[in-house]
Amino acid sequence: MAKSTLAAQSAFTDLKTSKHAALTIEVLDDLTMASIASSKGRAEEVKAAIRAAYGVELPTTPERVTGKGIAFIWHGPDQWMAIADRGAGMRDIEVELKPVLAGIAAVVDQSDGRAVVRLSGPRVRDVLAKGVGIDLDPRAFKSNGVAITHASHIGIVLWQVNDAPAYEIAMFRSFADSFATWLTHSAAEFIGH
Amino acid sequence: MPVGDYSIFSVMKEALRGHTGWGPAWRDAEPKPAYDIVIIGGGGHGLATAYYLAKEYKAARIAVVEKGWIGGGNVGRNTTIVRSNYMLPGNIPFYELSMKLWEGLEQDINYNAMVSQRGVLNLYHSDGQRDAFARRGNSMRLHGVDCELLDADAVRKMVPFLDFENARFPVHGGLLQRRGGTVRHDAVAWGYARAADRHGVDIIQNCEVTAFRFENDHVVGIETSRGYIGAGKVGISVAGNSSRVAAMAGMKLPIESHVLQAFVTESIKPFIDGVVTFGAGHFYISQSDKGGLVFGGDLDGYNSYAQRGNMPVVEDVCEGGMALMPRIGRVRLLRSWGRHHGYVDGRQPVHRSHPHQGSLFQWRVVLRRLQGDASGGHVFRASDCTR
Amino acid sequence: MRINCPCCGERGIDEFSYYGDATVTRPDLTSPTAMAEFVAYAFERANIPGPHRELWYHAAGCHLWLVVTRNIATHEILSVESARDVALARNANAKGSA
Repeated sequence: MAKSTLAAQSAFTDLKTSKHAALTIEVLDDLTMASIASSKGRAEEVKAAIRAAYGVELPTTPERVTGKGIAFIWHGPDQWMAIADRGAGMRDIEVELKPVLAGIAAVVDQSDGRAVVRLSGPRVRDVLAKGVGIDLDPRAFKSNGVAITHASHIGIVLWQVNDAPAYEIAMFRSFADSFATWLTHSAAEFIGH
Repeated sequence: MPVGDYSIFSVMKEALRGHTGWGPAWRDAEPKPAYDIVIIGGGGHGLATAYYLAKEYKAARIAVVEKGWIGGGNVGRNTTIVRSNYMLPGNIPFYELSMKLWEGLEQDINYNAMVSQRGVLNLYHSDGQRDAFARRGNSMRLHGVDCELLDADAVRKMVPFLDFENARFPVHGGLLQRRGGTVRHDAVAWGYARAADRHGVDIIQNCEVTAFRFENDHVVGIETSRGYIGAGKVGISVAGNSSRVAAMAGMKLPIESHVLQAFVTESIKPFIDGVVTFGAGHFYISQSDKGGLVFGGDLDGYNSYAQRGNMPVVEDVCEGGMALMPRIGRVRLLRSWGRHHGYVDGRQPVHRSHPHQGSLFQWRVVLRRLQGDASGGHVFRASDCTR
Repeated sequence: MRINCPCCGERGIDEFSYYGDATVTRPDLTSPTAMAEFVAYAFERANIPGPHRELWYHAAGCHLWLVVTRNIATHEILSVESARDVALARNANAKGSA
């Protein structure tokens, strides 16, 4: 199929990124993503296929595993999200995974269906606390922890990338601007408008 | 000591003697061995039923048994609104009968229930909603109930402080029932209790029903925490406890008990003179004569007897309020509370008879609607207890 | 109220949707008394204070259907099970007794 000549547009039309010491906000626009949903009773085969292809063990609890150039996010019982950088080579994770999981799982491209932001810095938990109802204290939620929840009524999948701390948050693309409005208000006391 | 009529002369007389002459508004009756009719539940519906029965059937021996005290249940937990701005054929006449009873109630029972026909305004926020309200208004008028469809300018004249230009929920107008309004909810209970008492009804408080006694499929009495009471007929009017009480009689009802929260703020100067409801979320508000803003919203949505709700609905109600009138964000919440109701699909009162035909064992499920108290009692009297 | 989701851990009820009595099962449409059975299935409830088995759906989380046993007089949550496991066990029991 011929490559589209349309320019890619960020899902966030109005989000000001921040490099503030208290809170860094980055939009991750160059991701390739695919959802994996195991067919009924085939989860063990899915895990074996991913183990063989990428050398990682798919998590059965809300966690994230990283392999070489790819991450798998737990996305519900027997479901995962595969995420990688698209890069100059226009990597397409759906095309890559379909043959690996043929017949045992549904693999669907989510690259343009989800919008992802990365938040990091010492005040990130204070910012998230205003809209996310779960406990992100390091004693309760650790690096590679995953939560499917909501932020100010907007459904999100959230995972912790490192102990800086840094979190990445994925949402349906059409909610990106609403999320950005909430995030801007929530972060204002730390980084200004 | 029986109490005389409340009048300007009695009030003046008592003012001069330091209000030392008032007696209790109703007798704290002891249970007698038997009555012709026993109503279980001393809330708005139960007391109204007893009153209208006693008024019409002067010879009947009637009692109301209440497990707690008068005014301690749902009748003290609602948001005081009375209205008949419904749409369906079964609803409008029922609540309009109530409206008419409210209009003459205070003269009828010689009690100031603070009936205040300050208007109920339902806002609409889109063309489609305006059409739906026009249809509701037409339906009301076909039933002989007055109402007016207002545009945004007319609403602005009444309540200029709404967020008319809200980006998501702009106010386009409203459906106004001027005769709707508020009543002092616990005065409804007190007023009906006093009036029923003066017609000879025994109001028996702290008397919990524990069982029914049947003979040949006919109810003959109730066991209570204050002993056995014989009864020719029994009415049940116990709101969210309907399933419990009916289960004592071996009946399973199409009812679930749910919690509905309500809220009141600190007192502020007169601000909202009528009842205003938000059409894009579930939020309704009025201001009490003491100055508190009284408001509520949606059911919590799960079965509950706990008489308290949870935070998500508190948040939802407050968000509705902020979308409609952002200035209330600076007012402090004083209290919130929950009341439990029996609910059926359609959320209207249910009248039902015991399956043993001819036994004249009756019950009535009473739902959340204060506005139905008067007609509920009236209809229960007419349709059930007197058959 | 907070529900301990078997997948996600303890979450507030803002993430869940309530779907009512978990003990009723859909009657057989071909039964001669199907109408009465469907009325009971759709409407009639015990509705007694105390433990109540009910369906909750983790709508803003992992999308699991749950059978929660909750005291409706106090809101205390007594147990949480996967509705799928409950249904499979019920079907197995039905087959076993047939």
